[in-house]
Amino acid sequence: MSVASYVKNIKDTVTSVFEGMTITFSHLVRRPMTIQYPDKIPVPIQETLPRRYRGILEVDMDICTGCLACERDCPITCITIGIEMDKETKQRNFTHFDIDICKCMYCGLCAEACPTGSIRHSQEFEGASYNPAGLVRHFVTQPAPLYKPKKGGETDPKLAEKVDTGLKYLDEFATPDGGAAAEEG
Amino acid sequence: MNETAPVQSQGFYAEEMTISVGPQHPSTHGVLRFVVKTDGEVINEAIPDVGYLHRSIEKIGEKVTWHGYVPYTDRADYLAAMFANQVFCMAAEKLAGTEVTRRGEFCRVIACELNRIASHLISVGTFGQDIGAMTPFVHALRERETINNLMEEICGARLTYNYIRIGGVGYDILPETCTRITEFLDHFEPIVDEFNRLLSNNKIFIERLAGVAVISKEDAFSYNLVGPNLRGCGIKWDIRRDIPYSVYPELEFEVPVGTGQVGTLGDSYDRYWVRIRELQESCKILRQCLKMFPKGPAIAKVPRKFKPPVGECYARVEAPRGDMGFYVVSDGSEYPYRVRIRTGSFTAMSIIDKLSKGIMVADLIALIGSLDVDAPEIDR
Repeated sequence: MSVASYVKNIKDTVTSVFEGMTITFSHLVRRPMTIQYPDKIPVPIQETLPRRYRGILEVDMDICTGCLACERDCPITCITIGIEMDKETKQRNFTHFDIDICKCMYCGLCAEACPTGSIRHSQEFEGASYNPAGLVRHFVTQPAPLYKPKKGGETDPKLAEKVDTGLKYLDEFATPDGGAAAEEG
Repeated sequence: MNETAPVQSQGFYAEEMTISVGPQHPSTHGVLRFVVKTDGEVINEAIPDVGYLHRSIEKIGEKVTWHGYVPYTDRADYLAAMFANQVFCMAAEKLAGTEVTRRGEFCRVIACELNRIASHLISVGTFGQDIGAMTPFVHALRERETINNLMEEICGARLTYNYIRIGGVGYDILPETCTRITEFLDHFEPIVDEFNRLLSNNKIFIERLAGVAVISKEDAFSYNLVGPNLRGCGIKWDIRRDIPYSVYPELEFEVPVGTGQVGTLGDSYDRYWVRIRELQESCKILRQCLKMFPKGPAIAKVPRKFKPPVGECYARVEAPRGDMGFYVVSDGSEYPYRVRIRTGSFTAMSIIDKLSKGIMVADLIALIGSLDVDAPEIDR
């Protein structure tokens, strides 16, 4: 190696180090990309998440028809639903509706299968618990009747709001054509 | 001392030393182990020991429904989950003869190219970190974070997307998301140049990689290298161009190949440089897609109980780590009869043993990084 190339190598190395340092220093005066969690944020982090965010599952039992579509479509069977016929009133009741959050992989297939939009992903993701049993969400505490949509299309005024929320969820999140239809109309 | 130890000509005892690199070594991404036999600093043999991340994804495929298997394909390569999604769906569609809607195809390409940028950013970032450049890693991950946010908007998840479904995509890409993708591209293209100034043009970085672990064209063919590793050897082979799928034939893009600009053709720097160039090509593809984005439904009508006819088929896509293929066999039931996954990292892993002979221990890390070996993809 000649002296000239030796000196050139040193020069190139020093200039490239300084070139990198200029970029690094230019970032010193910029706003940081990171935020401190969980303190020091103006709004709860859940509210800043996009609408489609797939968080922990929640079920609105008032509008669940008990069709078991979510249980069938779940690839890891983390949803277990029990339905029992009440012999006296001839009414079908939920005995349990459990979702194992430990198993759930947040794929969203159950929410898409639901006809009323009662099972859906919330924006909630902080689910730490001291024991695995605490991560099984029980949505039925005592036997409760199934939701039956009336044939005429009229809904119970008490439930109307909940049905609307569910259907809106289906339109916006789980129906793939929702966006395209909204764009055209 | 041991009398039978090999005595070298200089007159001192020199035994071959066996070191275990990994499975928890920070430079082996994921859990990856090498049994390295060294003579001082020089490696005689580096035997890859795979299997630490085996999750039997292929076997699970026989136990879940066709629709239900899509979230599992995410886990085959979690840095580029979208591609495994797509190739499995392509295989299933081929079997059943399902036509994907045009908007669905564009959604797929947009999501995949975003994912390719994210995956290559991880690759080049950690490559820099492996050989001692700490800052570029943080810069690369910062950009990837924006892509993760975009993905969250598109499909609701940051890493395991489950976005592409049989017949199309799960959710349509909304107009406001398209605007944000354009904003990101406007912001990102200058960042690539900044990244080049920071890392690619750095004299120390170039000296460290030029001429290290050279792969010849013949070796690349005989070891079946794919993706950027193959293109780094100067071979122009890209599934998107040579076996076109989806809407790639309509898009204009270049296939970057290694030129040996700083050292020998096929060295570590060439493989790195191909990835940087692919970042720019992906940006180009994304811009074209957003311009050509057609209207219409994002998914075709596919029955919930998906039962493809008896048969078998193989589909392949160009994933960030090369040619990724799914071979599926159907016996006409609700469940796949057999699923076989072919990934690029596995073959890249097999060439490490050959390349590592005679290089320094520190260069082994540069070699692994330049091949962009991804542990979950090797084991499945």
